[in-house]
Amino acid sequence: MATAEEIVDALAGLALFADLGRPELESVAHTFEEAWFPEGQRILRQGFSGTGFYVILEGEVAVKVDGEDRAHLGRGDFFGEASILLGEAPLADIVALRPLRCLHLAGPALQGFLVAHPRVMYRMLVDQTRRLRNANLWRR
Amino acid sequence: MPMTDEQKVALLRGVELLAGVSEHSMAAIAQRTGELTFAPGQRIVSQGQLGNGLYLIASGAARVQRGDEVLARLGPGEVFGELAVIDQMPRSASVVAEEPTTCLALASWDFLELVESDPKLALGVLRVLASRLRAAGERHHH
Repeated sequence: MATAEEIVDALAGLALFADLGRPELESVAHTFEEAWFPEGQRILRQGFSGTGFYVILEGEVAVKVDGEDRAHLGRGDFFGEASILLGEAPLADIVALRPLRCLHLAGPALQGFLVAHPRVMYRMLVDQTRRLRNANLWRR
Repeated sequence: MPMTDEQKVALLRGVELLAGVSEHSMAAIAQRTGELTFAPGQRIVSQGQLGNGLYLIASGAARVQRGDEVLARLGPGEVFGELAVIDQMPRSASVVAEEPTTCLALASWDFLELVESDPKLALGVLRVLASRLRAAGERHHH
């Protein structure tokens, strides 16, 4: 189990939290829970509700749609936010490719967290905008 | 004659990105927008330049061009640079006024201030982006 201090240090290195000062990072570290998953574990399940928001600290996951690998996510990446914000089931399975260490926030807490930390929300907006640009490029 | 806030809100209602924004927040956005006028032939934005905001055509007409190729023509109520208000990516095309054209512009730095002062506004935008991502068939990419 990492100390709160270690989690704060880990958070400080992630783009999503890059605009936060030390006191705000400490508050974030207290809000999230650390979670570990063994290799092969399915963290989010396509089509099923009961999700959470996850930020990867170490390890790698595969994004799988109907069993097919669509993308890999690693340190600093996050997942689960879209289904929480839209109130819909995940469109993909998220499967740990190696032992995974991440931070977890229960679904109902995400909106309150983002409203309390608008700079994190802004970073999330920028990330989603870039994903959308890429998705539209692929479609052309 | 300058636009009233009500006229600005009515125009902003046509921006898909802002579809999840409350009436109250929309009024705050309207107050941050600026009205810009362009003469025929004048560039509104230039290809390759950093995007610094979104533009809505209030009146007039403009063409979207990349190099010498005209990609589209835009008229009143149409928006461009929508995503640049968030990510400030370089413009992928130029937009040139074809008639005397008035635009409503929202600068990216003003948008950031709005997000900080009214985070619920940003939640609405985040939801629109999430659902557009889903519609685009993209699950996750990096």
